[in-house]
Amino acid sequence: MEAAVDVKKLVKVYNGKIRALDGIDLSVEAGVAFALLGPNGAGKTTLIRILTTQLRPTSGDAYVFGLNVTREGSKIRRLVSYVPQEMSVWTDVSGYENLLVYAKIFGIASQERKKTIFEALDSMGLSEVANNLVKTYSGGMVRRLEIACALLIKPKIMFLDEPTIGLDPAAKQVVWEKLSSFKKEYGVTIFFNTHYMDEADLYSDNIAIIDRGKIVKKGTADELKRSLQGEVISFSFQGNSIKEESIQKLRKLSSTRDVIVDKSELNVLVEDAETALPMVMETLRVEGISAEKISITKPTLDDVFLKYAGTRLETSGRISEVTHVRDMIRRG
Amino acid sequence: MKDSLRTFFVMIELELRRLRHDRTELYFRAVQPILWIVIYGPVMSSVRAIPTGDTPYTDFITPGVLIQSTTFLSIFYGLMMVWERDSGILKKLLVTPASRYATVIGRSMASGVRAIFQGLIIIPVALLIGVKFIPNIAYFASAFVIIFFASGGFAAISILVASFMKTRERFMGIGQAIIMPLFFASNALYPIQMMPQILRDFSAVNPLSYVVDAVRGLLITGDLTNLLIDVAAIVIFDVVMFIVASISFKRIIE
Repeated sequence: MEAAVDVKKLVKVYNGKIRALDGIDLSVEAGVAFALLGPNGAGKTTLIRILTTQLRPTSGDAYVFGLNVTREGSKIRRLVSYVPQEMSVWTDVSGYENLLVYAKIFGIASQERKKTIFEALDSMGLSEVANNLVKTYSGGMVRRLEIACALLIKPKIMFLDEPTIGLDPAAKQVVWEKLSSFKKEYGVTIFFNTHYMDEADLYSDNIAIIDRGKIVKKGTADELKRSLQGEVISFSFQGNSIKEESIQKLRKLSSTRDVIVDKSELNVLVEDAETALPMVMETLRVEGISAEKISITKPTLDDVFLKYAGTRLETSGRISEVTHVRDMIRRG
Repeated sequence: MKDSLRTFFVMIELELRRLRHDRTELYFRAVQPILWIVIYGPVMSSVRAIPTGDTPYTDFITPGVLIQSTTFLSIFYGLMMVWERDSGILKKLLVTPASRYATVIGRSMASGVRAIFQGLIIIPVALLIGVKFIPNIAYFASAFVIIFFASGGFAAISILVASFMKTRERFMGIGQAIIMPLFFASNALYPIQMMPQILRDFSAVNPLSYVVDAVRGLLITGDLTNLLIDVAAIVIFDVVMFIVASISFKRIIE
């Protein structure tokens, strides 16, 4: 089966110094939902922008449905739709008019235009506000309008940069149900970036974790979780940092597989938390470290991310920032 | 080609739809040129300091301030492009079958739509205070076609400048710094013959002078002897600006 996205040794250097992508190898099957996870500045958006032919790669090759992004850009642009992270609709015209502009740009025949537009608006629950100016929409409605716009041309592949950022949980679910049914019905491939671990976990078939311009891990959500082989004991601290030698001592314990420190949190990866806990606690006591909160968890995608990218996704701060910017743009 | 042409017309249509929803900007922008025509013109003409031949001074400057205001509007249209870079609209437009050139030219020419409506607000005011226009529909239509295309070129200048700007705030100052020299070193307010040689030389390469000359000929004096040269100058100006703006557009999107 032809790959929807095929990327080989892709490198993108900005201004001759910033290495945004540092040799990406990636293949995404057609008809799947693919999630790209990574911290800020990891290169997620750059990769999407190269695949959607907005930027040229510095070196390496990228193909979308077998078409080369540098040489066959115009053919690719007929197959894909794209929702950027930033606000991408005109706020001083109505929702319907926004879609009308794109329907015309894509050359949807005039007799089908209205029907197609209302189908797309309807699927995102926007047909009642179709004729209102976009500046009267809420942030969630704007995002839904942008996704409706992406559904308009029935693309073979959709590139979504943080598709549900700033949406409340209910709206998020609506969006993903629509996207999933769209995927099922038309076999459209969905390639998305997200900061929401649960979203990648629930709605993606495949995940790649990207960090500092490199793919550090690929697989399904289950495969990734299984790759951690064990459970996590987390200790939260107030203030003072943990000495490197304490960490080394923890590492030397027979039951620990790995120790990851993230700000005021210490994560000890073990095979079986119940048997390992006494030994870990003893070590901490000897080192004079007292934890405020201790918890035991089976691995989540969050832990997988922490392990492979070396940092937690700073979800809440990041999202409120983007939401804030989007709000400012909307209000003008 | 078909895609590009379609994009071009869609951009024009979008501008008309925007104007249908909200024209406040045009009304506010009309205040300044109206003050020139209503106050500055009559005051200066009573002084009789500027030789404008048989044409009353207010009539003489009407095309000048009209073009100044449409040029202003077009230059600040580039601001909108910076705005669209901040938001995702430009990025999304790039991922459509339309070529980048069509996007740039379409967005530029959309400012011409605004310019025409701006003219339609100013001209009735000029008529009210007694400016005598040549009563010829074909001349009027031609003048508006010239304003439309010239505005596209000026908007392209602003796209070029916007591509160097990182913030909106900086652009506001630069916009003024471009427009004022163009305006004062042109034939908008006084005949070129009155200027010192150095300004005359500048005026010869100032696109604004050609636009004002053509529109003044068509609307006020009826003197069309330079019309062909004017139109040729505007066409060259547009083509060069569209090409340069399209190239600089690359910087905007990265």
